[in-house]
Amino acid sequence: MDPASPTPTGETGTSTDRPSAEVIVVGVQQASERKLARRENWRLIRRRPSFIIGVFIVLLWVVCAIFGSRLAPHDPLDFRAGVHLSPRADFPFGTDKTGRDVLSRVIAGARDVLKIAPAAAVLGVFFGVILGLLMGYIGKRLDLVLSRIVEAFIALPVLLLALLAIVTLGNSAWVVLGVVAALFTPIVARTVRAAVMAERDLDYVTSAKLRGESSSFIMFREILPNVTGPIVVELTVRIGYAVFTISTLSFLGAGPPPPSPDWGAQVSEGYNSIAAGIWWTTFFPAAAIASLVIAVNLIADSVQSVLEAS
Amino acid sequence: MTDLATPPASTPSATAALEVDNLEVVYSVRGIDRVVLRGVSFSIAPGEAYGLVGESGCGKSTTAYAALRYLPRNGKIVGGRVLVGGQNVTEMSARQLQDFRAHNASMVYQDPAQAMNPTLRVGKQLIESFTLLGQSNQQALKSAIEALRRVRIADPERVMDRYPFQLSGGMQQRVVIAMALACDPKLLVLDEPTTGLDATVEAEVLDLVQTLRTESDAAVLLIAHNLGIIRSLCDRVGVMYAGRIVEEGPSAQVFDAPQHPYTVGLLRSLPRRGVRKSEKALATIPGILPLIGTDLPTCVFVDRCPLADEVCRTQVPPVTPIGDDGTRYSRCHHVDRIDQIHDDVTKVGISMLVPDEAHPDVLQLSHVSKTFKQRSTAIPALVDVDLELVEGETLGIVGESGSGKSTLAKTMLGIESLDSGGSVSLDGHQLAASTVDRTADDKRSMQMIFQNPDSALNRSWSVRRILVRSVEKLTGIKGKEANDRVEALAAHLRLTPRHLDLKPRQLSGGLKQRVAIARAFVGDPRIVVCDEPTSALDVSVQAAILNLLADLQSENKTSYVFISHDMGVVRYLADRIAVMYLGRIQEIGSTDEVFKGPNHPYTEALLSAIPDVDGGVKERIRLGGEIPSPANPPSGCVFHPRCPRVIPGVCEVSEPPLREVSPGHAMRCHIPIETLVELQRKPSVDA
Repeated sequence: MDPASPTPTGETGTSTDRPSAEVIVVGVQQASERKLARRENWRLIRRRPSFIIGVFIVLLWVVCAIFGSRLAPHDPLDFRAGVHLSPRADFPFGTDKTGRDVLSRVIAGARDVLKIAPAAAVLGVFFGVILGLLMGYIGKRLDLVLSRIVEAFIALPVLLLALLAIVTLGNSAWVVLGVVAALFTPIVARTVRAAVMAERDLDYVTSAKLRGESSSFIMFREILPNVTGPIVVELTVRIGYAVFTISTLSFLGAGPPPPSPDWGAQVSEGYNSIAAGIWWTTFFPAAAIASLVIAVNLIADSVQSVLEAS
Repeated sequence: MTDLATPPASTPSATAALEVDNLEVVYSVRGIDRVVLRGVSFSIAPGEAYGLVGESGCGKSTTAYAALRYLPRNGKIVGGRVLVGGQNVTEMSARQLQDFRAHNASMVYQDPAQAMNPTLRVGKQLIESFTLLGQSNQQALKSAIEALRRVRIADPERVMDRYPFQLSGGMQQRVVIAMALACDPKLLVLDEPTTGLDATVEAEVLDLVQTLRTESDAAVLLIAHNLGIIRSLCDRVGVMYAGRIVEEGPSAQVFDAPQHPYTVGLLRSLPRRGVRKSEKALATIPGILPLIGTDLPTCVFVDRCPLADEVCRTQVPPVTPIGDDGTRYSRCHHVDRIDQIHDDVTKVGISMLVPDEAHPDVLQLSHVSKTFKQRSTAIPALVDVDLELVEGETLGIVGESGSGKSTLAKTMLGIESLDSGGSVSLDGHQLAASTVDRTADDKRSMQMIFQNPDSALNRSWSVRRILVRSVEKLTGIKGKEANDRVEALAAHLRLTPRHLDLKPRQLSGGLKQRVAIARAFVGDPRIVVCDEPTSALDVSVQAAILNLLADLQSENKTSYVFISHDMGVVRYLADRIAVMYLGRIQEIGSTDEVFKGPNHPYTEALLSAIPDVDGGVKERIRLGGEIPSPANPPSGCVFHPRCPRVIPGVCEVSEPPLREVSPGHAMRCHIPIETLVELQRKPSVDA
């Protein structure tokens, strides 16, 4: 036995090498059990029909966004076909009031929303996490002040705020992205704050303070890795909301300018004609928005329930 | 194994309150059935108390849950049967089971707060347990009041009007017991009923169970990891290991003369009979419990047994009766060789601090107070504490929860800043009030070991990262050198290089605590504050951790502030003991003096509340009432409302000073020391 060893009788062994070998074996078993648990999570989530359906629909739109122009049967901006043709063989979704192919416009419209929505969600979550960490960890007066601001922000009508901002700042894609991210930041911050407050009182944080770690080290290196679960859930949920919010904004005319085949804008262009029986110019882009929002939410629900169960 | 599975039943099965017969239980984990109970048999006669002991994971609780068919969803009984009062529980339909549980058996769990609905008043919940039995509301109300009287609650109407969270832990557990007794059960199962309660409260709850048992003639199945509790309450005890009862017999006999190597190991790892660290290191049981589901066609204990030989590795040991009266058995191939298990602790204990020599003071606290502010109320959590700690000394701090032990530790370390007017000095220089303002060297010199390693280690960091980061921050050593230092330290604490790359949750409780200890020691600290470092661990692991702490201390001359509620552990490790109550030191003295007496009446009560595994007969001192709120402390001596020796007209008027009764031994009491000596004279049986 190692003479330097202070414990002649540890819980891991007395005087032979065998017990420590045992411990190693246990370690290996547990390591593989942990990998198993992670694989199990993946397996559980894959087995959920809602997850499969969600992923399938999202992938469909992603393909449309990437290969839009090549998949579309017609040029989405070309208005040489007949005006307001009802769905038929060469125009399965019909044509709109200027004679553009609705199917092609729906396919092409995926690109805008799929570019801006995830980016806005990521940005909103990013700032929300920082704000949440500050509120949850530093606490005290900072939390008091920020919490009130966050609550005030959440209490305001979101769309009105967004519209105001876009009207003032112009409706470029960057502004839309920034405005949606800003709308999400306080909501994410509240979730993260709650998770951080549960961690803050654990002894590993005390121990970090005892060895003189800075607050930013404790927040970002010690606590952040332990609150990734709620952050991942928040991110998926926010992508769904972002799709919806962006489409709503363009419906209200605060999206990209007219010729672009944006879903929200298409709905807004077409909905006046519904009364005249021309339903297809509104129905198909609206269905596209709904399908994407629902699909993302299906994924978010699956992620959440699996993460919460483990 | 059927030919040797059935141990001698001590009571005929027809009359047994509980008969468990060769019970086998598996848990399904990710689709694979893992064996947890491998044929457990025992029986309890009406009015008898039976205890199950063993380390965590051995199947004690599973046995209790299986007995009432309360197994979690993934658990199932695959063999054997359970009879309660002659009824076969294992074959009952869901409806029969419901009826059976309502009328025949009750269970009390570890955490009383979880056994009650937090949104309903206590009275409503209690009345419901009677209306369920078919009583009218009027009757149920009367029965509920009666039930609370029965569990010695003096003011039932007031308690019934409260919500569970408004009651203390001890009161909650009484209410839960009252509910459990509502149906006048034939069988009462208690699963760690006092874990998490203070020693004085624990003693009261155990007294209560004892009295109720004699009153009601219910059979009791008690699960506890504290062997002292089992001994004081149970007629017979079964020692469990890896899903099998390895030894059974009358408690006194089993604890005084164990006949299975596991029982021997378990008892030897306890600090018993006032043993001190200077006398001997504690024995440990090498190895770890087999993982659940492991195939064990052998003696279950073979891997950790000092007597194991070829027979043990190939055959399940038979039930070997011990003595002639058929009340005891051991499942060991080598019962005849039990005496040959030597107390193989090669090393005698470490040297104790010699009180006469001059030791430099390391830490000095003078007039340390800490007042928390809650809205506009001031809550004094620590009141004028004076302490000094010399090099290499261990100061034990004891007291009930809420007495200010942890606040004292946090204030020393600067996690909480002390009130102005007091000071904390290290090696003669005054420390900044807050950790943030202390120098790197001061931080390095004072470190802490926490109660719960799961909370103390960052679960998303590897062990290596945890330790290397501490080395870098506390010593300034960086990079490869830091890593080398961590590996050397880890090896010194018997952690293998493999452990370093695991995450904390992949380690056992004992190994986790080793990592936490290693982290505290990376910078050769002068003082380590240990806050209940072994209370979350099994006794055999506790022994190894205590040995490790004692060894590290003797090597490095580190001083410890050791907070614990376990008097046996404090006695083993501490050179001096401070007893705290409501933020004040009530008594301080060398360990010998504190255990010998005379004592402050509070210390006296604490000492009398320890359940003794050696079965010493003690007069238990009951403390009435609850610990008062620190926000509103009693006048005069803060202990006077609960003090059994209170002097009316004196104690509630002025607070006694901490006065020395002999050199180094001081207490805060109005009663003259001669009177205390007279009052506390031990019965002559002791001699």
